[in-house]
Amino acid sequence: MSEVDELVSKILTQIKDDDSSNGSGSNLSTPTSSNGAELGRNDYPLYQKHPEKIKSPTGKPLDDITVKNIASGKVDSKDMRITPDTLRMQGEIAKNAGRPAIQKNFQRAAELTKIPDDRLLEMYNSLRPYRSSKQELLDISSELKNKYNAPVCAGWFEEAADFYEKNKKLKGDN
Amino acid sequence: MKRQKRFEKLEKRPVHLDGFVKRWDDEGLVAMMGKNDPKPSIKIENGVVTELDGKTQDEFDLIDQYIAKYGINLENAEKVMNMDSLKLANMLCDPNVPRSEIVQLTTAMTPAKAEEVISKLNFAEMIMATQKMRPRRTPATQCHITNTLDNPVELAADAAEAARRGFPEQETTTAVARYAPMNAISIMVGSQTGRPGVITQCSVEEADELSLGMRGFTAYAETISVYGTDRVFTDGDDTPWSKGFLASCYASRGLKMRFTSGAGSEVMMGYTEGKSMLYLEARCIFITKASGVQGLQNGGVSCIGIPGAVAGGIREVLGENLLCMMLDIECASGNDQAFSHSDIRRTERLLGQFIAGTDYISSGYAAEENKDNTFAGSNMDVLDYDDYVTMERDLAVNGGIYPIEEDEAIMIRNKAAKAIQAVFESLGLPPITDEEVEAATYASNSDDMPKRDMVQDMKAAQDLMARGITVVDIIKALDEHGFDDVADAVTHLAQQKVCGDYLQTSAIFDGNWNCISAINDTNDYKGPGTGYRVWEDEETWNKIQDVPWALDPKKTDF
Amino acid sequence: MAKEIDEALLRSIIKDVISEVGTVETPISFKDDPKTSAAQSSSNAAVATQTRPTANKVDWFKHVGIAKPGFSKDEVVIAVAPAFAEEITRTMIKTPHKDVLRQVIAGIEEEGLKARVVKVYRTSDVSFCAVEGDSLSGSGITVGIQSKGTTIIHQKDQEPLNNLELFPQAPVLTLDTYRAIGKNAAQYAKGMSPTPVPTVNDQMSRVQYQALSALMHIQETKQVVVGKPAEEIEVNFD
Repeated sequence: MSEVDELVSKILTQIKDDDSSNGSGSNLSTPTSSNGAELGRNDYPLYQKHPEKIKSPTGKPLDDITVKNIASGKVDSKDMRITPDTLRMQGEIAKNAGRPAIQKNFQRAAELTKIPDDRLLEMYNSLRPYRSSKQELLDISSELKNKYNAPVCAGWFEEAADFYEKNKKLKGDN
Repeated sequence: MKRQKRFEKLEKRPVHLDGFVKRWDDEGLVAMMGKNDPKPSIKIENGVVTELDGKTQDEFDLIDQYIAKYGINLENAEKVMNMDSLKLANMLCDPNVPRSEIVQLTTAMTPAKAEEVISKLNFAEMIMATQKMRPRRTPATQCHITNTLDNPVELAADAAEAARRGFPEQETTTAVARYAPMNAISIMVGSQTGRPGVITQCSVEEADELSLGMRGFTAYAETISVYGTDRVFTDGDDTPWSKGFLASCYASRGLKMRFTSGAGSEVMMGYTEGKSMLYLEARCIFITKASGVQGLQNGGVSCIGIPGAVAGGIREVLGENLLCMMLDIECASGNDQAFSHSDIRRTERLLGQFIAGTDYISSGYAAEENKDNTFAGSNMDVLDYDDYVTMERDLAVNGGIYPIEEDEAIMIRNKAAKAIQAVFESLGLPPITDEEVEAATYASNSDDMPKRDMVQDMKAAQDLMARGITVVDIIKALDEHGFDDVADAVTHLAQQKVCGDYLQTSAIFDGNWNCISAINDTNDYKGPGTGYRVWEDEETWNKIQDVPWALDPKKTDF
Repeated sequence: MAKEIDEALLRSIIKDVISEVGTVETPISFKDDPKTSAAQSSSNAAVATQTRPTANKVDWFKHVGIAKPGFSKDEVVIAVAPAFAEEITRTMIKTPHKDVLRQVIAGIEEEGLKARVVKVYRTSDVSFCAVEGDSLSGSGITVGIQSKGTTIIHQKDQEPLNNLELFPQAPVLTLDTYRAIGKNAAQYAKGMSPTPVPTVNDQMSRVQYQALSALMHIQETKQVVVGKPAEEIEVNFD
């Protein structure tokens, strides 16, 4: 599946690069966003091209983030966060511009948006060397999967647990 | 022995205060192609890398494992590994081979193969290749905003002036770690006062740095260090998996980030496994790629004295910048640390990146006097501004810094100092007096500032974290005190974090919050007549060519 | 970061390393190839004939067994790196380690607290030396010191790479600075918030000493023993 993705993105990139170099107005290569197709280079930046697609985590439109609304308390810090949807759109743009690894990073990020700041910092710290036992890493993996519906990140912790065991980075290995 | 008089004079030249070391392969004191560097190799079985640069899967350390799993475009890998490195090197500097084509190949190499390709290029060829491989078409540069007293008023004033001079990204750190939140707020408010659209960061311990970003005090992060050997990575208190996770944490809060690496760090930390600087750096660049991180700060960086001490070291430094760009990663290309006592050598250090143009020619030009630079000094500082701009003018190069008039600097410094004064008042931080505002307006370094009670400031900095202050409180404070435009700029910045456009490769903002990145400002260099040329960028070129100190032949009164 | 190595040590390291022994002190012979002498007089990496210092037992710095966690709230641990006082005896700017320790201890005692010295083996990194010290320190405060002179004040609940105060530029640290560091560490242990020790910011020191610092750190790192616990050190300045 990922090979297919990569192939597609490669072809798209090449077409697009050709486009930009010919200066031709062809837009065959650009999947438009209207009917569920993936976003690409020509949809970027979203701020100018598709502001209507962007919502705050509380569902407010981008235009609502104003000094006036902040002063009146209508908008607060909870509204000033990126959503999983927006990360998904930016991921599509990155991939279709030839950078699939960035899309994978944004996929993990999208899963992490719902985890509270403090817990997220704790999770990061637990992945640092010699901090956790294998079981502790696996427990976080389950928490990610079950509590936060974050399967990709759960896999990340599971993988780390295995490699840390093999390469001696678990608690007590130093 | 009786001294020869010319030798005695030569020894007194500044260059003799610099450190130089002879080659020592077994401790990594070698620029590239060290005697212990592995031969390039890859073996792929059923889509899994089972051999990488001479190591089999069971010998992989965490870094090999990570690169093998996530870092290499396997589809083209075998093909590229069988290509002649000399041919690949040729393609890099041949303007007829487009960037988009070569990236398909360079992202399919192993670290040792990448090193071999780079090693075929001389310095001039590296400049040619860099000009083509830089992701963003328009070059730029980044600055440091610090002072040894962590004085918030001076930080804000310096940030505002630097914004006016053209730096789209600004980085602070602390003299004392506990000051971090206050420094972060000071440069954010200062820079948005100077020019809306600047983004700022505060370099501190990894977890602390993320928490500043979560509160909206910073917009990006850069000092997320990765290293080329397992032992040094561990001493850096991370693993590839924790760093990769941290990268996703930043993106999950809408914060731009790039990693940091650079030649010499493994030597400085004592574990090189006997490998050359370029080979170890190649591993760092592939770790960055594997993490899906859009950018990297490299090029010696804080360990520049190590590549600088060995033969061919500065060629290696440009080579590692180029390698970063070859992997299609934003490159903030060093030139950010005090490098030499010799002005000639300082210029030499800068030359490659300056002439070729990179995403950020310096990843930390000292926008304060070097004595106030708490990153331990940069290669160039505020007192070099006019020399730097003259170099841009002489060579017709956009180095990312523009001249400004004195009255403009005074005006904007004063406004930024007043804005931070207002924010401190509303947030209940130790007051900033009018005397301090006045001093910051006209100051050149922290000796020109009245002393603050540092213990009170530090307590207040910790307290504001405890009280849960966020950027919302800062916007309210600016609004309450009538700094409408600054409040608006800080709000726009918050809006951009919701939007995420600046998470893409090599992204910066112009003064109207237009996001300019490798996506919509793709480097299209294909030889003479193509790519970025400063004289075609009229507004920028006019600023540079009409420096305030050039005589106007039409107005000169003899 | 690191700067001025003990010159003799540097010379001996370089000599070890670049197995190309010169004859610096030999007078010029006008008969021979003049290249030899010219290269020597202009080279920073001149080579001397001294041999590499080996792990010397030092009588003022006595190992008295594995260090155990302390429970006394009024103690500050000084955690020194693996080569300290033994394989390497002076900081980058040639300040004897004995004097450095004497001053840090005096600073701590000046505040009415006790100092305990331990030597760390697991790491040569200044932060991680201090972290190991934290786990032994009754007050939770540790001063970590590398052989080249780089110093940190660290507290138990901080992330390893965080700090209360960090002194990364070893070449600008004087004995007065070391005393002030000891004093501040003791004040932190008492729950106070002292003004951070002022340091000079000499941006050229790194340029001058980075290569030497690396060589010195390589030497320190060679003394690291994975898994070996810290040892209690008895110091005697008489």
